[in-house]
Amino acid sequence: MSQARQYELVYIMSPDATEQEVADLHTQIEAIITRYQGGLVKTENWGRRKLAFRIGKHREGTYVLEVFTGTGELTKELDRRLKVIDSVIRHLCVRVDEELRLAERTRARRDAETQRRIARGLPVGGRSRRADDDGGDDEQTDRAEV
Amino acid sequence: MAGERSSRGGPGSKTRGNARGGEKGGPRRGMFRRRKVCKFCVDKVDYIDYKDAKMLLPFVPERAKILPRRISGVCAMHQRKLQTAIMRARQLALLPYSTD
Repeated sequence: MSQARQYELVYIMSPDATEQEVADLHTQIEAIITRYQGGLVKTENWGRRKLAFRIGKHREGTYVLEVFTGTGELTKELDRRLKVIDSVIRHLCVRVDEELRLAERTRARRDAETQRRIARGLPVGGRSRRADDDGGDDEQTDRAEV
Repeated sequence: MAGERSSRGGPGSKTRGNARGGEKGGPRRGMFRRRKVCKFCVDKVDYIDYKDAKMLLPFVPERAKILPRRISGVCAMHQRKLQTAIMRARQLALLPYSTD
């Protein structure tokens, strides 16, 4: 149960921020993560992007993505820090481990189903069960399996 | 006549029609209706990523409102996931809240 929680943090820096400032903030965040016994999984710099709408007076910004593991206190601290820093115009921190695990599980289940169908020589459902609502033949095959 | 009565209707399973109270609709015989299929179910998408704005774009047409699933044909589960993904993307200014 006590698996580490995984979070995704995306923040947008103002376009005036230099490369150096972006790198500085990244090291700062890394330091905070290690201080709270978290681990940085990966980091991605998306570079300059146009914003879909204006934030303050900005029309574009530098996006940075950080994926890390840690606790709720860590995210709270990061949140607090990012709010204070002026060069960060927007940030969003989302917990992702549960969603990813769920996606993994459904994929595994589907793979198992496909394997089973191949093993029994049944037609492999190209459509998922949710997608078809008039799958009469599917129902029959399902019943035959039981 | 049947054409006048039939509303746009849902992607049209019988159960859905009943759940709606079945006020209109009735049997739509002879009407050509393409069956709508959930795009995410077909592509076997398990996780709808909010960072992928290009993928979300077809679900927020010109006014940037979320496309209802009676039109897109997306299944309930994926529409829910799509909704959270779009809302997250909006916070990050990857998608607009509104346009005009």
